[in-house]
Amino acid sequence: MAGHSGGPWGGGSGGDGQNGGGNRGNNGGGKRPGDEGSSIPDIDEVIKKGQDQLRVLMGGRGGGGPRDPQGGGEGGPTFSRGTFVIGGLAAVVLWGLASFYTVKPEEQSVELFLGEFSAIGTPGLNFAPWPLVTAEVINVTSERTEDIGDDFNSRTESGLMLTTDANIVDIDFQVVWNIVDPAKFLFNLAQGPETVRAVSESAMREIIAASELAPILNRDRGLIAETAKTSIQGTLDTYESGINIVRVNLDKADPPREVIDAFREVQAAEQERDRLERRADAYANTVLAGARGEAAQLLEEAEGYRAQVVNEAEGDASRFSAVLAEYDKAPEVTRKRLYLETMEKVLGDVDKVILGETGGEGQGVVPYLPLNELRKTTEGN
Amino acid sequence: MKRLTYLLPIGIVAVAVLMASIFIVDEREKALVLQFGQIKRVKEDPGLAFKIPLIQEVVYYDDRILALDTDTIEVTPSDDRRLVVDAFARYRIADVVQFRQAVGVGGVAAAETRLSSILNAQIREVLGADQVTSDTILSEDRRGLMNRIRDQAQGEARSLGLNVVDVRLKQTNLPEQNLNATFERMRAEREREAADEIARGNEAAQRVRAQADRTVVELVSEARKEAEIVRGEADAERNGIYAQAYGADQNFFQFYRSLSAYEEALKGENSSMVIAPDSEFFEFFKSSQPGAAE
Repeated sequence: MAGHSGGPWGGGSGGDGQNGGGNRGNNGGGKRPGDEGSSIPDIDEVIKKGQDQLRVLMGGRGGGGPRDPQGGGEGGPTFSRGTFVIGGLAAVVLWGLASFYTVKPEEQSVELFLGEFSAIGTPGLNFAPWPLVTAEVINVTSERTEDIGDDFNSRTESGLMLTTDANIVDIDFQVVWNIVDPAKFLFNLAQGPETVRAVSESAMREIIAASELAPILNRDRGLIAETAKTSIQGTLDTYESGINIVRVNLDKADPPREVIDAFREVQAAEQERDRLERRADAYANTVLAGARGEAAQLLEEAEGYRAQVVNEAEGDASRFSAVLAEYDKAPEVTRKRLYLETMEKVLGDVDKVILGETGGEGQGVVPYLPLNELRKTTEGN
Repeated sequence: MKRLTYLLPIGIVAVAVLMASIFIVDEREKALVLQFGQIKRVKEDPGLAFKIPLIQEVVYYDDRILALDTDTIEVTPSDDRRLVVDAFARYRIADVVQFRQAVGVGGVAAAETRLSSILNAQIREVLGADQVTSDTILSEDRRGLMNRIRDQAQGEARSLGLNVVDVRLKQTNLPEQNLNATFERMRAEREREAADEIARGNEAAQRVRAQADRTVVELVSEARKEAEIVRGEADAERNGIYAQAYGADQNFFQFYRSLSAYEEALKGENSSMVIAPDSEFFEFFKSSQPGAAE
């Protein structure tokens, strides 16, 4: 309805009163006389008059005076002509203001010729001759955002969603969109942003309802956002909405507040499990290293024993062999010498009691020996 | 001056009549031309059109896709689990004549009420159907259900002159009073999971420790075995060496070994000997001649 009657400008023009009719004709006729003139013959006349007036305004002040029936040419004094010129100028300026409009770089405009879609206006200065053509400027490239699932919204939009395994998950997400086809957007959708919202919520709930809780919480966030984007875009395309979904941001996919503590506890338990396992590993490492050390020690000791024993044996054997070699050269003498030397050494170090000649009864003395005292003297030394 | 006084009112009236007899239908609209309340003409295409001033009036209807959100209703699928459901519909006024006849002057507001009750009925019917359980609603089949709701609503909405473009379920949630039970169950599930984690942690830890202990015993006993083998070999080698060396002269070995045994055994100052002087060592105590003692 917006461009239908030109609202405020129509009123302004009417306010001019006497001049109004002429100016109207001028506006329309200047551009497309054929379109209107063919259907309404009356307008033709008005147009001609209007063109004349325009010539007066542009060309020279006194030029068209006599030919003008309305502008006061008939007996109109200079004063009334001046009023007319000023009024005409004002009307042209107003018309210009109504007809020229600018489109900013992020915008496009949709032009309607008598309510029918005629053209898309690109950034820059655009011309839409009022009142035949009306234009609506729409911000096209700027990204618009719909937040869905925030808690401050109504109950239905709170992000609690039911999953296919009958769990509840709290989803907050953001849909970023812009307009690719302003004409479609204007002409096909009564409530653009609301539609994006509703379609997004429906799509997200549909995806969540078909998924289980665990994957939503853990790894599938990117996938969910991507699927949602495709689904939302698909639905909006069936509406021919001219809307492009730039991206879907999954801000939050958490368990509901009421149970989030339990979920945190699971995480804590996972950490605890890890900790227990690591501590057991640490124990195992310590104990195993100790055992390997002990094993090595045992083996080394055994090897040491082998070396010791063999060396001793070889030493003893070699000594014996050496002695034997000498012994074989002079057995009797060597034998005697060895005996005496040894006995000398042995008896030299030992406390001795030598009992005299007792014949066969030598044993009889032994019981009387003061063995305790003998021991004391030894200790005394 | 006289002509002007006539022409001016005539001009104004002419323009007014012209203005009253043309009307513009926007790209977003459809228009209905009524003559004393009777539908004369339908203008669906945008553009300029004419009517008879005063006698005919124009009613405009929105030609865009309109939105309708249904109230939240509770449905009971065939498994008796109740669900809170709401939906939205997107529709268009397809047939203005029928629309006008069906809703009268109430327009879109009246149509919304009618469509809303149609939708609620269809939602109840489709979601409450025999083979539909809450599991069906919470699954991939949801889309099929939505399409069924749309198609059935479509049939009824046609009598209102409406074309239902789309019907979509928004929330399918549990009723408020069931939420807490669900939260409780979710919590219990998590607690079970947490307990399970800890138990598994302990299990794994115990297993690791037990394995370590076993490996320790194995390692040490193996080493002990190896050590004993080595010691045994060492002893065997020693015996071999001795046997080879001492076997050369057994008599001398006995003598020689005895001597060194005496020396070792009687070493030190804690030994006392009571000796009779009749051993070989004291042979010369009695005589200077060898063999006298015998």
